[in-house]
Amino acid sequence: MRFMVLVKASEDSEAGAAPSAELIEQMGRFNTELAESGHLVQAAGLTPSSAGARLLWFDGDAEPSVVDGPFAETKELVAGVWILEGESLAEIVELMKRAPNPDRQAGTVEIRPLSAEL
Amino acid sequence: MRFMVIMKASEESEAGQMPSTELLAEMGKFNEELVRAGVMLAGEGLAPSSQGARVKFSGDSEPSVVDGPFAETKELIAGFWILQVRSLEEAVEWIKRVPNTDGAHHEIEIRRIFEADDFGDNLTPELRDAEAKVREQAAQN
Repeated sequence: MRFMVLVKASEDSEAGAAPSAELIEQMGRFNTELAESGHLVQAAGLTPSSAGARLLWFDGDAEPSVVDGPFAETKELVAGVWILEGESLAEIVELMKRAPNPDRQAGTVEIRPLSAEL
Repeated sequence: MRFMVIMKASEESEAGQMPSTELLAEMGKFNEELVRAGVMLAGEGLAPSSQGARVKFSGDSEPSVVDGPFAETKELIAGFWILQVRSLEEAVEWIKRVPNTDGAHHEIEIRRIFEADDFGDNLTPELRDAEAKVREQAAQN
């Protein structure tokens, strides 16, 4: 089974603050471990929403409206993702409990199975 | 430049309702076009949040786990693409054409993905090499 792990944004990630050297190093080690254990399929960090855009379809519109970032609701935004291969949701939950967090920041990661049909 | 295109959830996607045959067919055609243009690196749909979980970190204590479903449907994610294009504008032009025969998607967000060069000196040559190895291994997983 494949899973998408979504790392929620923080004020720091939205401000474009560069991750500390320590976090980069620990994250690199964590990703190496995930790659060698066969779990890692893809990892991507997202730039702040100020560098992004949204397309909105209102009822009845054929063409979407385009709204440039940044977007306000920081805690709902995504700052990064992993795509992981695993046997079960519980296995991925256990892996993610060990995600590096050297700065002891409060935060949430959301784990979602990919749908096999699409 | 790589962009992650995030399709937001709807009541239908959260209820586990599958897209119509017509939409599936059109989406298949659209994806084929993205692939032929060399633009599409990945694309997946997510199962409803009822099949997922969240891990919450709160400073010093052990992380806690909360099982789905999650309430704020419009903030949830139902699917994504990873596109390789020259600019945000090019990504926007492609995504304007995403088929919508079911009237299902109301919001799609496009976000640029960090590349190694974005990290400056904090990504030392050693870390850069390690990252390249991780990518190589991940491509085989």
